[in-house]
Amino acid sequence: MAAESMSEPAAVTSTAATGSTATAEHSGGGGLPQFRFEYWGGQIAWLLLIFAVLYTLLARVFVPRIRRVLDLRAATISTAVEQAKAVQVQADAQAEAAKADIEKARAQSRALAADAKAKATAELNLRQAAEDARLAGELAEAETRIRTLRDAAMTNVSGIATEIAQSIVERLSGEPASATDLKAAQSAQGAN
Amino acid sequence: MASPMHQFEIQPVLALPTVNIPGLGMIDLSINNSILSMLIAAGVVIVLMTLATARAAVVPGRVQVIGEGVFGYIDDLATSIIGHEGRSFFPFVFTLFLFILTMNFLGLFLMFTATAQLAVTATLAAMTILLVLVVGFVRNGANMYKLFVPAGVPWYMLILVTPIEIISFLLRPVTLALRLFGNMLGGHVALKVFAGFVALAFGGGIGLLGIPVATLSLGGIVALTALEFLVAFLQAFVFAVLTCVYLNDVVNLGHHH
Repeated sequence: MAAESMSEPAAVTSTAATGSTATAEHSGGGGLPQFRFEYWGGQIAWLLLIFAVLYTLLARVFVPRIRRVLDLRAATISTAVEQAKAVQVQADAQAEAAKADIEKARAQSRALAADAKAKATAELNLRQAAEDARLAGELAEAETRIRTLRDAAMTNVSGIATEIAQSIVERLSGEPASATDLKAAQSAQGAN
Repeated sequence: MASPMHQFEIQPVLALPTVNIPGLGMIDLSINNSILSMLIAAGVVIVLMTLATARAAVVPGRVQVIGEGVFGYIDDLATSIIGHEGRSFFPFVFTLFLFILTMNFLGLFLMFTATAQLAVTATLAAMTILLVLVVGFVRNGANMYKLFVPAGVPWYMLILVTPIEIISFLLRPVTLALRLFGNMLGGHVALKVFAGFVALAFGGGIGLLGIPVATLSLGGIVALTALEFLVAFLQAFVFAVLTCVYLNDVVNLGHHH
């Protein structure tokens, strides 16, 4: 059997070189080695066996393994995405709260500033008013003092005028003027 | 110069006893190079998938990324064609795709391409169509005839459409098997023919003229090898897509027609 199969390839080689028509005439199942049907049975049987083993291994072991990993990966990714979304929402809420806090603090500080300003203004006004009153008092006091001084000065002036007038009259007329005359003249001057 | 067909010869690797399988007759279970390359392909798939899923983590490693990439690719394919029920057929489509893809790629690295054996592609196609038929009859029962009688087609058109549908359905396993077989066979034959030209250019007695001929042929081999990698992927993909399409026909019978 083995000797036969060994001799046949040699025969095919020699005939194939001479031409395809010679190959077609070659005995033992046609021209192509593939059409030598005595080898079909073994090939088919082994192929079915190998395919069955391969199919069983793939269907029972490898495909489920890969499928499991792919599903696991998809699940991992989706949970991670969900988690990230949840964290995002949380972060958004926190940012919102922080914003509100800042807004509140700002309003508070604004109110505080306005309050302080009002208080300061009121105090300032009060102090200014007190100072104004004090100054006005001092002014009034000074004015009355000036007025008394002026009045005193004025009375002194009339006395001096009488004296001057008496001395002028005495120098001009040689005799002292009477006090009554002087008084009359003075009041006439004052009336003018 | 070796024959371009020599690479498809079945060579015995390990002699095993012939077994009498009831109903099928005597089957020689000796391991030959075709069976060996299928075993290697299955081994590669198992090792890669083991590496990809051994330490399956939510944050994947390098091999896991590759495994999940292929998984997602075929998973999207199955669910987009079959719909939400694609998940139940996904392991079958995934096994077909991985097994065919690995055999195709191994054919570019090893000496032997199992998918260039008609016995292999025909068995894969027969399995697929058998699954389609079983699923179709289990789910639709007697309504399976709707596969050949599209709804909404006037009766006089049905006279024409029904035979076409029946013929196209019967041709499905044939085209499924021959497409993969033909692509693999043709690509590898072309590679070997170009490689033969290189040897011929120096041994053919054309002297210095052999140098440009050999250079061109070698360039052709490089280009064809790149193309073959594309074809290797594409044919596995096409097989998976068509499996999904045929399954969709019977799973969603009457929904799309």
